[in-house]
Amino acid sequence: MKSVKVTINGRLYEREVAEHKTLLRFLRDDLGLTGTKEGCGAGECGACMIIMNGVSVNSCMVLAAEANGAEIETVEGVGTNDELSALQDSFHRHHAVQCGFCTPGMIMTATDLLRRTPHPSREEIKDGIEGNFCRCTGYEQIIEAIEDVAGTEDSHA
Amino acid sequence: MLHEFSYIEPGSLSELLEFLAKYGPESAVFSGGTDLLISIRAGLEKPVYVVDLKKVPELQELNFGSKSGLSIGAAVNVNRVVEHEAVQSHYRILEIAGRELATFQLRNRATVIGNIVTASPCGDMSSPLLCLDAEVELLSASGSRSMLLKEFITGVKKTQIKPEEIVSKITVPTTFMDAAGGYEKLKRIKGHDLGVVAVTMIKTKKTMRVAVSSAAPTPVLLPDFVLDTPVAEIQKVAQAAISPIDDVRCTKEYRRFMVDIYIRRLLEEVQHERGAA
Ligand code: FES
Ligand code: FES
Repeated sequence: MKSVKVTINGRLYEREVAEHKTLLRFLRDDLGLTGTKEGCGAGECGACMIIMNGVSVNSCMVLAAEANGAEIETVEGVGTNDELSALQDSFHRHHAVQCGFCTPGMIMTATDLLRRTPHPSREEIKDGIEGNFCRCTGYEQIIEAIEDVAGTEDSHA
Repeated sequence: MLHEFSYIEPGSLSELLEFLAKYGPESAVFSGGTDLLISIRAGLEKPVYVVDLKKVPELQELNFGSKSGLSIGAAVNVNRVVEHEAVQSHYRILEIAGRELATFQLRNRATVIGNIVTASPCGDMSSPLLCLDAEVELLSASGSRSMLLKEFITGVKKTQIKPEEIVSKITVPTTFMDAAGGYEKLKRIKGHDLGVVAVTMIKTKKTMRVAVSSAAPTPVLLPDFVLDTPVAEIQKVAQAAISPIDDVRCTKEYRRFMVDIYIRRLLEEVQHERGAA
């Protein structure tokens, strides 16, 4: 076991964690932050996307022990039920959510993309979400939702 | 769930090398984890210790000098290389091929050296680095040794590394600096995927170089070509040098066919590229 101190969505957590546990499992099983999803567990689907120290990463490919001292953002920190982020609101309006399983990962990827590139072209958006699989929407609505935020206002997400 | 291991996080090079001197055979060296965690998960590797390189400052170094060339430390992720100014202006082929490696988010984790040490026949970084005559430095508690990347990779997922060693850095000399170049990779889908077959080509004022991946147990660097070598000649040499197999991703005939297509396409591409003359 290893002691880990980690700030998640602005709140500090101190826990003992099994050294072979992934950050994804730590978030979900130990902290109950189940917004972050496990699709493949192997770096392929993007359902587990989070932002760690300002950088987007697949949390199934990170060990919890590595996150000691890190600042992490997950979908739970992006908005609240009363106040959605611009991206969440746009996903809602554009019907970019069907089963919803890919959505938290998509939101985190798009949040990071708009921070790096506030006004991405359609191609840049497609490239940006390359690592996030969606089995329902066919991507079109997701791309439109991101375009809408990118074109209409600076991301406050 | 991953099988159980201990996570070791050395804070200095000497601490790291001493640990590997004692426990090398039971250890797996870890940085991005994008290959290691998958193979642990699949039960292909069962290390007792997973040894993280990221806290060792020397291994995070990424430097360029107009005489010394480019030096990439073991813990430097692919995005740092792809976004590095000197890479973009002097070693464009590394930028082009680097952007083909997995996804942006995985490139925030995956390292160039990890891609080399894994020695998969389809690694995106190995064929451009072969074309550039890259050299690897191996370090252990008892000393260091260097060799050309070409000698380092010996077979499918096999290299010359010993359990007590790490590849501390890879150096790219100035020999092929500012070469024009291109990278063509066949994938099964439009998005990110492992390469089914890939070809790298670079061109300087005097020579052209071609390397092919996923078409033999190791990436293959062809002998140098003079500038006006006809496309058919390059294709002939390439076909004689590769030994592709049938696998889940495609047939050997299709691999051979695409190698010819890519050579023709790349040749047209590098001929037109500025900075090559
Ligand atoms: S669960 Fe992490 S990429 Fe699929
Ligand atoms: S909405 Fe179902 S996977 Fe994307």
